[in-house]
Amino acid sequence: MKVVIVGNGIAGNRVAAELRERDREMEICILSAEAVPEYDPCSLPYYLAGNIGKKDVFKKTVDDYKRLNIDVMFNSKAVSINPEAKSVTTEEGVEIGYDKLVLAHGGALFFPPIEGIRNAGVFSCKQMSEMEKLEAHKGRKAVVIGSGAIGIEAAEALKKRGYEVHIIELLGWILPVLFDEPTARLLETAMEGYGIHLHTGEKVLQIKGDKAVSSVVTDKREIECDTVVVATGVIPGTALAKTAQIETGRGIKVNRQMETSVADIYACGDCVETFDACTEETVMFQLKHNAIEQAQIVAGNILGDHVKYLGAYAFARVHFFNTHASTFGKTMRATACLLGKSELIEKQSGNDYLRVVLLDGKVLGGQAIGRYADAMGAFIGAMWRKDDLDQLRAKWSKIPQAGAAAAWPLIRLGQLIGAAAP
Amino acid sequence: MEIRREQLAVDPLKCNGCQQCLMACSMKHQGNVNPGLALLKILRLEVQKVDVPVICMACDNAPCIKVCPMNARVRQENGTVITNTDVCIGCRACVYICPVGSPLVNPYTGQTMTCDMCQDDETGPWCVTACREGALKISKDDALTKGVLRERAERSRAIYPNNFRTNQP
Repeated sequence: MKVVIVGNGIAGNRVAAELRERDREMEICILSAEAVPEYDPCSLPYYLAGNIGKKDVFKKTVDDYKRLNIDVMFNSKAVSINPEAKSVTTEEGVEIGYDKLVLAHGGALFFPPIEGIRNAGVFSCKQMSEMEKLEAHKGRKAVVIGSGAIGIEAAEALKKRGYEVHIIELLGWILPVLFDEPTARLLETAMEGYGIHLHTGEKVLQIKGDKAVSSVVTDKREIECDTVVVATGVIPGTALAKTAQIETGRGIKVNRQMETSVADIYACGDCVETFDACTEETVMFQLKHNAIEQAQIVAGNILGDHVKYLGAYAFARVHFFNTHASTFGKTMRATACLLGKSELIEKQSGNDYLRVVLLDGKVLGGQAIGRYADAMGAFIGAMWRKDDLDQLRAKWSKIPQAGAAAAWPLIRLGQLIGAAAP
Repeated sequence: MEIRREQLAVDPLKCNGCQQCLMACSMKHQGNVNPGLALLKILRLEVQKVDVPVICMACDNAPCIKVCPMNARVRQENGTVITNTDVCIGCRACVYICPVGSPLVNPYTGQTMTCDMCQDDETGPWCVTACREGALKISKDDALTKGVLRERAERSRAIYPNNFRTNQP
């Protein structure tokens, strides 16, 4: 059997590794649009910041592919699929036949339609090649457009490199998808304390400069700068899937076996649209742990295991120098449109802050800064199990000693939310 | 699921919070008696008067390995999962995702650290040797069969509020 994997990222390589571990004979071919072996995009900002060397970003060397007997084709962007002939065609016109095809080519950075966004001095933070350019660039004043996780990490890295950093966010507060306003405001205060200039609720109108960037114009001000980093989100790549008439929504649609609508074609990673493990709604969490789990499901199904994907979940952490924050599940804002009794548990002591979102007594999401974040895992567990926190609040202090010893994470959960009981 | 050969087992009912294990652990791993540097911690449940030694359970399907942006969480040959301090950048993702909150942050380096069951020491984990109450033990063979694990899980499951359902693969 010949398995062709489109994409040399986390998901693609995970599929290859799982297949190779269980099947020594199978022919595995990876098509990579880039020229480098597998690296971890999550660690790129830390490479930029100088926390780690370039070699630590890479997870494999070219020799590793040989050792694993995986055929990898660099600079080979797949452009079309012919499901009848079972073949993929690359940009250079090379046609590769397959028995099973895995789409794991991820997403592309979204460049908003702003005048001057293709100027020299405008960088992105998603790919190794882009990051190398930014690393080699010498500037002193940077504007980061967008304050998602990538934007915040890039801002920290640039600050560490000695830049003066401005962040522009279109919506009302930073990290609008991951955090609710109160949590984000606390983070904003902390970041301003570290010397970052934040401009929320501002729209970038134009990036000025002919040869090199000279300034960024927003609807409220003009910021002089010599570096611009675009971090406005990642859009899933669906163009390739469309050439094979695979059903797509925002991303490639897959069923619980991670199969697309066309036989023998699977998809996983940043390019798929999947469902939330707890609320079952259609979501796109382009996060590393989901990519890994989806890849394991794909590999299992190719090998005939008939395993089912249990759903994606949101979990992210943000840190800025010594301020650590964590979030999982849905935010209060995203919960507002759901039916049911939603409730908010909030606790604050000094700079530590905890916010747990409940719907009908069940944990739906949470955010925390500082000390409270250390107990995040207990809440994630409660979300997975759909623990009834109303019952827990009433009972946790009455659970006897032996019970407490057996189910201590539950008591810890009770302790944490106990004081906030109505 | 393959059951590991050896597993560190914790019995909170026997623990009296004396912290001998923390001392032994910091001595073994950091060469210095300092409970703040140990790779485990003791959680006190005041209402029930229970002390729980919190230690990395080395989950088979460990979420910390998946969320680490640096791939610094690595599975050792003896089954334990430790942080590779050469690449850990101290983002604490492993602390936040851990169901028991076991990774601890080294106060000097900011990197996380978890139990490796003293894998380079033939005499076994130092905390087990140090524990006089028998709260920390090495479980193996008969004490680590599927039946025993299931029975333990049932014990804690009985305490959880209703609608309990496992969702994880």
